[in-house]
Amino acid sequence: MIQVKNVTKDFTIYKKDSGFKGAVKGLFVRKKEIIKAVNDISFEIKKGEIIGYIGANGAGKSTTIKMMTGVLTPSSGEITVSGLIPHENRIENAKHIGVVFGQRTQLWWDLPLEETFTILKEIYNVPDDAYKERLDYLVNLLDIQAFIKQPVRTLSLGQRMRADLAAAMLHSPDILYLDEPTIGLDVLVKEKIRFAIKDLNEKYKVTVILTTHDMSDIQELATRIMIIEKGVIIYDGSKEDINKRFGNNRMLELKIENLSETLLQEVSVMCHKKDKKSIVIHEDVVLRITFNQDRLAVADILGFVMSQCKVLDFKLRDQDIEDIAKRLYAGGIHEEVV
Amino acid sequence: MRYLRIYKIFLKQYLKTLMEYRSDFLIGMLSFFIVQSSNLIFLTLIFKRIPNLNGWTFEEVLFIYGFSQIPRGLDHLFTDNLWLLANEYVRSGSFDKYLLRPINPLFHLIAERFQPDAFGEMIVGLSIFGYAYHLLNLSFTGIQWLLLIIAVLSGSLIYTSIKLAAGSIALWTKRSQHVLFIIYQLSDFASYPLTIFSTFVRMILLIVVPFAFVAFVPASVFLDKPYIPLGILTGAIVAFVMWFISYNFIWKRGLQVYESTGN
Ligand SMILES: Nc1ncnc2c1ncn2[C@@H]1O[C@H](COP(=O)(O)OP(=O)(O)O)[C@@H](O)[C@H]1O
Ligand SMILES: [Mg+2]
Repeated sequence: MIQVKNVTKDFTIYKKDSGFKGAVKGLFVRKKEIIKAVNDISFEIKKGEIIGYIGANGAGKSTTIKMMTGVLTPSSGEITVSGLIPHENRIENAKHIGVVFGQRTQLWWDLPLEETFTILKEIYNVPDDAYKERLDYLVNLLDIQAFIKQPVRTLSLGQRMRADLAAAMLHSPDILYLDEPTIGLDVLVKEKIRFAIKDLNEKYKVTVILTTHDMSDIQELATRIMIIEKGVIIYDGSKEDINKRFGNNRMLELKIENLSETLLQEVSVMCHKKDKKSIVIHEDVVLRITFNQDRLAVADILGFVMSQCKVLDFKLRDQDIEDIAKRLYAGGIHEEVV
Repeated sequence: MRYLRIYKIFLKQYLKTLMEYRSDFLIGMLSFFIVQSSNLIFLTLIFKRIPNLNGWTFEEVLFIYGFSQIPRGLDHLFTDNLWLLANEYVRSGSFDKYLLRPINPLFHLIAERFQPDAFGEMIVGLSIFGYAYHLLNLSFTGIQWLLLIIAVLSGSLIYTSIKLAAGSIALWTKRSQHVLFIIYQLSDFASYPLTIFSTFVRMILLIVVPFAFVAFVPASVFLDKPYIPLGILTGAIVAFVMWFISYNFIWKRGLQVYESTGN
């Protein structure tokens, strides 16, 4: 349904020196810098998939989405969406897609929501019957009735986001692009939005491309994950396989009686001997060890610690997407890839 | 047809919101009438001293001035959103949405805003035009009225094309408010007889930003003092050429290079 092949997007930015002198200088010579916002990415998306597209700020997620929706023209490479080249056939492409940018609304600020929908009906040329049915469905699904008569500018962020989502789906598009649709929302609204996305996907086979910083969005919705870092896609696969790709990490938490500095040292040395990248930290009486289980066995750690002191309690946890994301956002997972 | 329907809906919605912001509207009208009357007072004062301006009488100058406000108002009425394109839509990234809807993005942009302040220009223009028509004892034939309509439409199209060209520069530079403003200021020259300006200014108004064809050239035809032969036809051709260039080579090219904004 969507093919992206060796796509790159460069932005040229002009650096300005600060101050008056810089401004004057800027009139004559400008320092050019080329940013590869997206660097030679390729993937295919099939009908009905829900892609969780994640990456740190500035990684290139929005740029990718803007190219797929036809807003931006790729610097090189090819994109086809249902057989169309989006930036060359913007109008045709727009008929089949819905887009929500969490950061800014596409609704008309001064118009009551209801009127907004009637305008969109005309713009997308939705027949009367289909429109009625669809509007009923969306109003119900997203719980919009209560504020449908209010001007968009008076809506809360959560209401506005639901309204934006409804507006994007009014013409029954096959593909839904969501760029940070849950940003800044409270848990209840997030739940509603997730439920709606799921429902649209299950009932209408809508293909969804979703960027988010909220890993529970990904856990609950995504059928496939793509991770982008500095413009390069570094992971594309299932939620389950992600652990294999980024080191089979686990975390062991031990509650210890009389945790001492020496013990901490000894455990640390012991762990590092087998897994150089293991991390041993402590908080009060809790010792937290993150390690790769291909190199270091749980039993070894437990055995060692128990021979030295009394363990009151312990917890073992698999690394989840949240942990991976944390490492990702903290500044790169790339070099850790095995 | 569908586009007409969409336009009607936008217009209806716009008028509704206008009611909410009535005071804005009134202030807009008021400031407009102040500007217009100061222009007129200025004209009258000049003509008190020099009854003949480079071969143009007071009545004729009034005729040109009044005429010039009509296409100006017509363009202003419909395409005011080009100012916002130049000023903020690109910079803020809100321009994205026009590229995400299945209608012509320029139509979408323009249909979204309707500027009733422009009625002021048109009313003033028509009144002065009518007054001068009367003073000059003109009596147009049917054909002349028809030509007049063509001239007004061509004039509006010239305005729109120039605004579109200057506004589209924002698609490259993020903001072109200042360019648009300066160029738009030039149109003030178009309300007066071209012959009173230096050759340099004249050349600019005829060739570079052809505001001369908005009012002066056609008005000179109706006043029987044609500045160039076939003034109306030439004006219409200029309008179409300007539109063609602005739409295809500036606006459309601009859409291809449009970069949206990072967050
Ligand atoms: N219109 C633009 N002009 C210049 N640089 C941009 C533009 N859009 C994005 N960028 C840059 O490209 C990179 C990727 O941005 P973006 O795709 O918005 O990242 P993300 O959505 O993952 O946070 C960033 O470095 C950003 O600053
Ligand atoms: Mg983004």
